[in-house]
Amino acid sequence: MRLRRVIVPATMTGRELLRRHVAMGLLTGLPLAFYGSSLSQGAQHAAVTGGIAMAFSVAGASIFAALTARPVDQRLVLAGYHPHELLLGRLLFLELFGLVVAALFSVIMVLGTGPQDPVLLGVGVELVAVASVPFGLAVGSLAPHELEGVLILIGVVGIQLTLSSTQTIAKLLPFWGAQRVIGHSVGVSPATGAAPLVGVAYAVALAGAAAYIAHTRAPASRAIGTR
Amino acid sequence: MVDTFATSAPLLDAVAITHSYGRKLVLDGASLSVQAGEAVAIVGENGAGKSTLMRICAGLIHPSFGELRVRGRVGYCPQIPGLFDLLNAQEHLALFAPVLGASEARVIREGRTLLDELGFPIGDRSPTRDLSGGARQKLNLALALLGGARVLLLDEPYQGFDHGSYVSFWEHVAGWRADGLAVVVVTHLLTDLALVDRLVELAIPGGETHGLESLVR
Repeated sequence: MRLRRVIVPATMTGRELLRRHVAMGLLTGLPLAFYGSSLSQGAQHAAVTGGIAMAFSVAGASIFAALTARPVDQRLVLAGYHPHELLLGRLLFLELFGLVVAALFSVIMVLGTGPQDPVLLGVGVELVAVASVPFGLAVGSLAPHELEGVLILIGVVGIQLTLSSTQTIAKLLPFWGAQRVIGHSVGVSPATGAAPLVGVAYAVALAGAAAYIAHTRAPASRAIGTR
Repeated sequence: MVDTFATSAPLLDAVAITHSYGRKLVLDGASLSVQAGEAVAIVGENGAGKSTLMRICAGLIHPSFGELRVRGRVGYCPQIPGLFDLLNAQEHLALFAPVLGASEARVIREGRTLLDELGFPIGDRSPTRDLSGGARQKLNLALALLGGARVLLLDEPYQGFDHGSYVSFWEHVAGWRADGLAVVVVTHLLTDLALVDRLVELAIPGGETHGLESLVR
């Protein structure tokens, strides 16, 4: 795998996404709206809600990136790209984008909430971003259209938001690790334990799922030659 | 599969291709064989499976049944341009550069030459979303031609072209044939049939063809 085959798709994904100014504004404003509207129920509760709601932004952007790229990707793979190169390029840009948004959002929440452990709060929000990108790319690869993708996103993140991190179902969802870390940073959840590792493991598993889907969806022949 | 073609073997050979979308049969034993230096038109009613056959030949979908052999790089121009809305023409060319075995500058230069020949507004740095339908289609076609494809699969490639661009397109087809490329053009225009070597008419499964072969030169 040549680096250029990853960097160029990553760059173009970034340009395509960042030029959608209105969508970018909405995507970054959404978790702020969740955070602000939850403050009336307590700053701790708002931190957990706002942190998990950031998945709407980052996973939403990832779903959109995957779906808009689908028809172009077919041509790019036909031209010689490996599907995993395109996926990795997209993953790199979106993770960078997600980490930056999460860092900015963490600062706002630390100032607004005054958590017991500000660093842990930041780690939890970054974990949301880390898991959101492969989650969004996997959903974007599977969903036939944007509507289905968005509904899956709303369903998964919405359920995670309504559950306590101690509930069994919450532990099966992709943002449980981050939920537990953020909750512990503001004193509403038990000790984090292995939660950060679970969050990272979930992200890696989702990236693997996205890679598998990309592989199975690839054109029948990528190589120049006879088939 | 190992290449066992003789030198004179067709560059594209699709035999008895059958394909269904769910329960709907769209291709029933269609065959298409194209030699080097040959231009073939595919015609047929709406729903006859022309675009599906092109996508199968490009390797984008697996046929339910049938055999496909392709010798050489395929350039595929889809009916609906597969482009990023907010990238401009030059950025699209740059996106293809890493896999074409040439520097980005060289690929962009080659692409700009192709676009210029097709009458694309070469100085236009607008994102493709803001281009006219014809200009988008010219970029769509140019991307299919990048990198020296030997088999060109062009699915109604001149939608939105003005008259001059349309004439220029067919002059290019003549040039590609002379260069030994295998060219397949899906068309609905009967006037095009005088410009190709051979015609393959597809019928809706269970339906009949209209005997258009006589229109070929």
